[in-house]
Amino acid sequence: MARVTFDNVVKKYGDNTIVKGLDLELPDGAFTVLVGPSGCGKTTTLRMIAGLEPVTSGSIRIGDKDVTKLEPKDRDIAMVFQNYALYPHLTVRENLAFPLRAIHVNRAEALARAEAVATTMGLSELLDRKPKDLSGGQQQRVAIGRAIIREPSVFLFDEPLSNLDAKLRVEMRTELLQMQRRLGITSLFVTHDQEEAMTLSDFIVVMRDGEVAQQGKPKDVYDKPNSTFVASFVGSPKMNLLEGTFSAGKFVSESGLTLAVAGVAAGTKILGVRPDDIVLEVGGKSASRGRVGVIELLGPRAIVQVDAAGHSLTAVVEASRMDGIVEGAEVGVSIRPGSHHLFDIATGLRV
Amino acid sequence: MNRFKLIDAGRILLLVFAVAAVALPLLWVALASFKTPADLNQPGILWFTPTMANWTEVLSSDIFAAVGRSVLVATITVAIAVVVGSMGAYSIARFSTGGSLSRFGILAAQVLPPAVLVFPFLSVAYMLRLNGTLVPIIFSHLSFVVPVVTWFLIGFFAAVPKEIEEQARVDGFGRFDTFRLVVLPQVLPGIGAAAIFGFTLSWNDMFYGLILSPSNSTILPVAIAGFNTFRGVELGPMSVAILIAIIPVVIASFFVQKRLVQGISGGAVKG
Repeated sequence: MARVTFDNVVKKYGDNTIVKGLDLELPDGAFTVLVGPSGCGKTTTLRMIAGLEPVTSGSIRIGDKDVTKLEPKDRDIAMVFQNYALYPHLTVRENLAFPLRAIHVNRAEALARAEAVATTMGLSELLDRKPKDLSGGQQQRVAIGRAIIREPSVFLFDEPLSNLDAKLRVEMRTELLQMQRRLGITSLFVTHDQEEAMTLSDFIVVMRDGEVAQQGKPKDVYDKPNSTFVASFVGSPKMNLLEGTFSAGKFVSESGLTLAVAGVAAGTKILGVRPDDIVLEVGGKSASRGRVGVIELLGPRAIVQVDAAGHSLTAVVEASRMDGIVEGAEVGVSIRPGSHHLFDIATGLRV
Repeated sequence: MNRFKLIDAGRILLLVFAVAAVALPLLWVALASFKTPADLNQPGILWFTPTMANWTEVLSSDIFAAVGRSVLVATITVAIAVVVGSMGAYSIARFSTGGSLSRFGILAAQVLPPAVLVFPFLSVAYMLRLNGTLVPIIFSHLSFVVPVVTWFLIGFFAAVPKEIEEQARVDGFGRFDTFRLVVLPQVLPGIGAAAIFGFTLSWNDMFYGLILSPSNSTILPVAIAGFNTFRGVELGPMSVAILIAIIPVVIASFFVQKRLVQGISGGAVKG
């Protein structure tokens, strides 16, 4: 168990800087999720911890040990790859025991430990199979089992769930989380799926263009995104962002949409509103009107597109309040008091 | 319907022709080995009284000593070629060692006629006082078996997913252990095929053997050529010796034919 510290880490490929001076600390024993759009440098960051990518400058520490220049084998880490990377020539049992071979555990003990891990992972029936005879979910379990067998100080996960189907993904998510809680090993999980990031993480790091856009507890990042990028990246459906002018308790967008927003100093800003904070009223006395576009029913909730003064707003409406909200209907649009986010127009940063 | 029959007929004809092209000369050699010198003077005759004279003559000669030496030379050549070639092929496949040219450039030396190399081999053998042994032959065979085995294996190594190597390194293994424990097992079929391929190359070589081998203890292809005596070609005994030389190659090719195609096309197509 150890925390992982990045100190001004830079990674360049030729003239191309992938990671730009990363300062980051992964809390000891926590499940940290690194999330960002593709190409933001998150996988590179993970691979630098693993030692699979050399660091151009800066240093990485695991616990108190500087590992910047160490070989992967000397870092006491375990990693689960996106495609599981099971050894095709070995059985499940041998795959699980393989990392123990590197630290010269004797064969009988290694196989016994492999069987014990197989039991906790629900793989006992499959011990003598080869990877090609396993389903995707089973392969995934073997890969995770192989990662936990050595009880490393850090777990690294490189989008391990993205090759699974939706149902299995949610199941494995829960399982992974339970396992991490049980073992309490510092974990870093890389994903481009913000929903996965929100549900799994104790600590979330949002990356963009090789830099940390925001880090913190998932709830804090969700409640107080520090830029329009984080605001629109975290949370599903995306936050509505409108440019406009505030004055006297009112917000007026460029194209004339007027919303009541109290307590904001006058000036031109970007208004951010989560879809759950948009209130639609059939009839209603709200001054702003909109027309309902596409409706996506999700069961307990529905995602409703509303066209209001040329803006396409996304609202999430409880199923119980959907009466009268149908495609083409005219509705009053307002926002829940105190739910607004404000960003600077020039920098996109939170005001 | 008729069109398909026509195509099938064409296919069968082509196959018959291909089989005949390979099998008839073999059959002719096999028949020749049972013919008397008189019958051999009429190559066309099919009906003759078979004789075992050629076989008894050859089998009681020292041909098996030549077979033994050929086996020894080919085995040592292949053992070295597989060790060197697999490491070379891995390096070229994984790290593009030598740039994009090395993949095919490695075969460039094959363009040279062996006559270019044979004199250096001979003079070095004299300098090291190794003339009169099989060592110079082994080295001369390495000059073409190593590049071919290396080239042959590149495609097999390129097909090993990089992730399992990275996984092994993360699992606690150094580079060499990763190569030995994780990469090599994936390419074992390829290495087996390359070994047999290399073996036949060495086994079939006559040129280097002719010049470099000790005069009194030569390798099989040179021994076969020895039936071309000052009295003329002794076709009957020679046919027996040829059969002895061919049979292992035919059996080996039968077992590796699938891998052989995979190796040749894999090495050529994978970019």
